[in-house]
Amino acid sequence: MKLLEYEAKDIFKKYGIPVAEGLVVKKTDDPGINVCNLGDEVVIKAQVDVGGRGKAGGVVICSAGEAQDRIREMFVRDIKGIPVETILVEEKLPITDEYYVSITLDRSKKAPVILFSAEGGVDIEETAKKNPDALRRVRVSPMLDDIPDFMMREMLRDSPKELSAVVKSLYRVFCKSDATLAEINPLVTTEKGVYAADAKIIVDDNALNRQGISVNRDLTERERLAEELGFSYVELEGSIGVIGNGAGLTMSTLDMIEYYGGKAANFLDVGGGADRARVCSAVKLVAGMEGVEVIVVNLLGGITRCDEVAAGIVEAGVPQKVVVRLAGTNEAEGKRILSEKGYQMLDSMEEVVKFAVGEVA
Amino acid sequence: MIYGDKNTGVIVQGATGRQGAFHIDLMNRYSESVGGKGVVAGVTPGKGGQEIHGVPVYNSVREALLEHDASVSVLFVPGFAAGDSIMEAAYNGLELVVAITEHIPVHDTMRAISYAGLEGCSVIGPNCPGTMSPGELKLGIMPAQLAMRGNVGVISRSGTLTYEVVNELSRAEIGQSTIVGIGGDPVIGETFVNVLERFEKDPETKAVVLIGEVGGNLEEEGASFSNLPLVTYIAGVSAPPEKRMGHAGAIVAGGEGDAGSKIRRLESIGITVAEKPSDIPVLVREIL
Repeated sequence: MKLLEYEAKDIFKKYGIPVAEGLVVKKTDDPGINVCNLGDEVVIKAQVDVGGRGKAGGVVICSAGEAQDRIREMFVRDIKGIPVETILVEEKLPITDEYYVSITLDRSKKAPVILFSAEGGVDIEETAKKNPDALRRVRVSPMLDDIPDFMMREMLRDSPKELSAVVKSLYRVFCKSDATLAEINPLVTTEKGVYAADAKIIVDDNALNRQGISVNRDLTERERLAEELGFSYVELEGSIGVIGNGAGLTMSTLDMIEYYGGKAANFLDVGGGADRARVCSAVKLVAGMEGVEVIVVNLLGGITRCDEVAAGIVEAGVPQKVVVRLAGTNEAEGKRILSEKGYQMLDSMEEVVKFAVGEVA
Repeated sequence: MIYGDKNTGVIVQGATGRQGAFHIDLMNRYSESVGGKGVVAGVTPGKGGQEIHGVPVYNSVREALLEHDASVSVLFVPGFAAGDSIMEAAYNGLELVVAITEHIPVHDTMRAISYAGLEGCSVIGPNCPGTMSPGELKLGIMPAQLAMRGNVGVISRSGTLTYEVVNELSRAEIGQSTIVGIGGDPVIGETFVNVLERFEKDPETKAVVLIGEVGGNLEEEGASFSNLPLVTYIAGVSAPPEKRMGHAGAIVAGGEGDAGSKIRRLESIGITVAEKPSDIPVLVREIL
């Protein structure tokens, strides 16, 4: 789950990473907020999870006197379609230079990797393309809980030594917060010292519990409901509802739909061993999405029993047409239950998909 | 047979949970049908002394190994404790841990795999269906009835999609030497590269089917290493960017790992890429 800038900065502070003096303002707060102690000039930053926030008007620099008006304005607009609920008001830092640092996972080496560039404050992917040498990478063994000093020297080279303490603290944040990404862009130097001018942390969804996060904000309400039911679920924009078991098989079903010229409405993996009740709620969930005209059920029974699946589909009794491919454990019984109720059944993934695409064409 | 045979002794960590108990039974039914050794002991801390489907349960891996001969652990321990259990298995000298568990925090996985490496222990998974060599050994949760013994190795990041492909292969009378589900998490122990290296040394394996999905670049990395004839299939051509498609690893982020570019990179190094799972048997026949 992505943390917002002010949440990430709260964590930074705990680990001794300096951030600008700031105030968090919620939409529901008293609008007569006093920002005078932040200095003559302030930066007003919308706390929304979108890329290119600055260009979209989500970051405004103004005098302390104008701040109240600017804050009110920002609360009534949205940034790339996302309404602003929270604003971070900060002192304006007298920036000398800007750097980039991030820590993420190197999947192929199974270890954290630190990326550093002396060209911060810009789109780092652009830098990586235009000038690959400007981006330095070092990998850290997951068994180490600190970055060795020589690695810091290799990485920083001519950049100020003061950055080292921040990078080392960021590595602790990365490990202790179960982060899959911890990024500071830009990391800035000023006459007063080094600061994290922005902050980005993505917390591993598998570790939300032990990080004390009870609700995954990155999910839509329907996706959250699906998660509570034990499904993996993603909403898309087509008209063919999809229910499968196993991520790969479900993804492949979506691909087949695209291959035959259709558009999937969703991705729903019921998981292993789904029983009648789970299948029933899956079918209802997908049928409840706007614009779903037909539903493809593609289940390959291993732990999952086809008779349970069939009973669940019948119990859901949704108005849309449900096309079913069932194979594996208790297949015959499952097919009997469905054929008695007149459900359309086909023997392969390809056939059900072709049929469904034909239905909406 | 790249991870063991009939004579391989197996323990199950997380033996007393619903999944652990269920699959001890299935694994042992399979080992009985092929005359193998199967699961000889279970481990669940605090539950020692019980029996699960006739298999004795111990409080620790160490205690289990005092009484039984085993070299592999199949792990069903819940996510929050699974990293610790992988390290326990490695510490006690097991050669292989097959981590079925889903939802292990990735930092735990990284540390556990790194530690297991120090002890010379390989890890398959986590978040995987395990591996089987038809007629010899089943480690994990694959439905055994779909598989058929033969000369094609299968490596996959997915569970049920593997069954789909194995089913297609068996129906076309193309048997499998070993089937390995390496798991859908962003960080996994045995990668395509490691498994392909094992297949290259395996006299039974004449060709390999590699089933990948969106996210990362492990498929290309693996395929470029292999001297064996390969057929690949990549799921997730239609996956939208930044959305997690079920597997934690299946996310297209920052333009890296999307199925289209993955397929182009594979084809550019001369690897056959199947458009649909049902095309795989035909393509395998062409390279066998």
